[in-house]
Amino acid sequence: MKNKLKFLTKISLNKKIKSKWFVIANVIILVAIVCLVNADSLVKLFGGDFDDTTDILVIDNTEEQVFDEFKSTYEQAGSYLEDSVKTDITLYEDSIDEAKEEVKEEDKVLLVLEDDDTNFLKASLISNSGVDVLISQIITSSINSVKSNLALNYYDITPDKLAIIDKSVEIESIKLDDSQSNDEMMELLMGVAFPIIILPFFMLTLFLVQMIGAEINEEKTTRGMEIIISNVSPKVHFFSKLLASNIFVILQGVLLIIDVVIAVIVRMATTGVSDLSSIVEMAGVGDMITALTTSGILNNLIYIIPLTLILMLLTLVAYSLVAGILASMTTNIEDYQQVQTPIVIISLIGYYLAMMAVMFDGSLFIRILSYVPFISALLAPALLILGQISIIDVIIAIVILIISIALLFKYGLRIYKVGILNYSSNGLWKKMFKAVRNR
Amino acid sequence: MLKVEHVTKYYGDLCAVNDLSFEVADGEIFGLLGLNGAGKTTTFRMIMGLIDDYTGTILLDGKKIDYSVTDHIGFLTEERSLLTKMTVLEQITYYGVLKGMEEDSIEKKLDYWLDRFDIKDYKNKKIKELSKGNQQKIQFISAIIHEPKLLILDEPFSGLDPINVELFKQTILDLKNKGTSIIFSSHRMEHVEMFCEKLVVLVKGKSVINGYLKDIKEEYRKKNIIICGDIDTKKLKTVKGVIDITKNGDNYLVKIEDKKYVSDVFKAISKCNNITKFSVEDASLNEIFIEKVGEAYEK
Repeated sequence: MKNKLKFLTKISLNKKIKSKWFVIANVIILVAIVCLVNADSLVKLFGGDFDDTTDILVIDNTEEQVFDEFKSTYEQAGSYLEDSVKTDITLYEDSIDEAKEEVKEEDKVLLVLEDDDTNFLKASLISNSGVDVLISQIITSSINSVKSNLALNYYDITPDKLAIIDKSVEIESIKLDDSQSNDEMMELLMGVAFPIIILPFFMLTLFLVQMIGAEINEEKTTRGMEIIISNVSPKVHFFSKLLASNIFVILQGVLLIIDVVIAVIVRMATTGVSDLSSIVEMAGVGDMITALTTSGILNNLIYIIPLTLILMLLTLVAYSLVAGILASMTTNIEDYQQVQTPIVIISLIGYYLAMMAVMFDGSLFIRILSYVPFISALLAPALLILGQISIIDVIIAIVILIISIALLFKYGLRIYKVGILNYSSNGLWKKMFKAVRNR
Repeated sequence: MLKVEHVTKYYGDLCAVNDLSFEVADGEIFGLLGLNGAGKTTTFRMIMGLIDDYTGTILLDGKKIDYSVTDHIGFLTEERSLLTKMTVLEQITYYGVLKGMEEDSIEKKLDYWLDRFDIKDYKNKKIKELSKGNQQKIQFISAIIHEPKLLILDEPFSGLDPINVELFKQTILDLKNKGTSIIFSSHRMEHVEMFCEKLVVLVKGKSVINGYLKDIKEEYRKKNIIICGDIDTKKLKTVKGVIDITKNGDNYLVKIEDKKYVSDVFKAISKCNNITKFSVEDASLNEIFIEKVGEAYEK
């Protein structure tokens, strides 16, 4: 029987892996991830220009000739945003009409600076079809800075005096409970953890549920199931489906990770960046590591990662058990689509709760929900990262999940034994409840 | 040898099989007949070990049905039991290994059967790409690839043309000669008559006919007399024991209530001219089936 289990699992797995749709889907996923990670290079390739430089012409009609000060202030402010905003500022010596003509023909930006009797400085920003919002903001803040300096000189206020005037009142933030984490930091953590952990897991769960249902129903739609079950017990058949589907989903998860690695390698090759630091920075991993270190979670990763993985793997087993039991009760894939809806909804609830985890702020209600099987694998890691639950809570969730799986095995197998050879939907639930009661 | 002894199976209050007993010896073809819903499928399922909550005993070579025994049973279901997305080789390998065969030994045997059924080019084709008849051939191969001790054939000729029916017949007879016990089920009585030495007819789960075909026919009192010549049918109908007269080409088929009326019929037609044929034959299985099943339903 052991050999037959191995054989059934192998056949089931081969059927999935050797399917042309598996190859096509993974090629599409790979291409999508590579494109996503290399979006900027891709945009440039199709004519988009991240290096597009905006020429700013400045006519300085002020008595103090503030152009140089404006330019240095602007360049200092713009240096923080050099990746997204590239500008070239030049002093324009000719007439304003000629400048306007240049603006019109070459899509430049014209800034006219003039003295103002009451407000020291006034400016006009002239463009052909509008100015980039960011450039406009930097120009505005730079002009305000120049104007402030003019005012300081006029009132004879030294920079030291100004620093004292501007200095903010220091507010000491004291938290009596050190374990409570900083909200912004937590939002940052969730912002990174959600797309790389929770969303792929949620998608893999749905994938698993669909796959088991489709495979069991494929065998049930012919009398092939009778041939199979006459030679292997329903238990072995059930185990083979669980094993094959879970191995396949894990394999798919690993392939997703490989896809990301390939995408990063492609980025390194196309951008000429040889070290990983810029990519790590781009992915926000650096920020996440900083946040994890600050929050103290990094020190506990040795417990958190294995526990989260165990929780996720056990949840996959639980989902596949329920999917298998439901699939055995249905007679075709259409019926299964309807019966599986509650599982999808439960999974969705977990997904949304995980997404909104930051809002719950460690309430007892959400803590209890994090123990609930099927939801726990989505919710508990999110709450753990946010510091709203502890490792003990995750262990409790795992224990509850193991008990649920044991019960599902015990009673679900009874349903499976009856359901797998049932070809009629008449009195289905009655038959299933009877199967649960019978030993 | 398959031994079914006093087997009874209930689905709730419904008695699907009622005290059924029969034996199928090695190298014997046994007919299991009945209308739809008579209990044939339930009987097959019990023999295959798919149903175990019944009373009575089912033994194959003296062993109770379990997974070691079902490895030696081949089952050709009436409905398709093939997984249509698989290729022929994958399908036969799949069922072959489930029947306890070594994976490596299957392809060689498959090649033999594909060649015998003249479909060797289809080995790597998907089942769904094959015609109904060729799918039936593959299904048949899947049932015999492991050289079963007991072979259950439920409507084996379904979807086959006359040439392939002959091919199947010869294969079934070869398997019989090699010692395979065969249970044959069909609604086509001429096929059953052709193959089966013994049979059971089920009505509402209970056997109404059980035994050797030869004995069943002999015990059936009604006989048919085939006469060729110019006979006075009106006069013949008045002869005691004559039930019906029908013309079939040049021949007349005279049904009589009992063998003892043959001499009366002979006397009645002896005065007629040009009588070239007078032959007394047993009733066909079809007639026996219709009458016995009909009687049982009326009860």
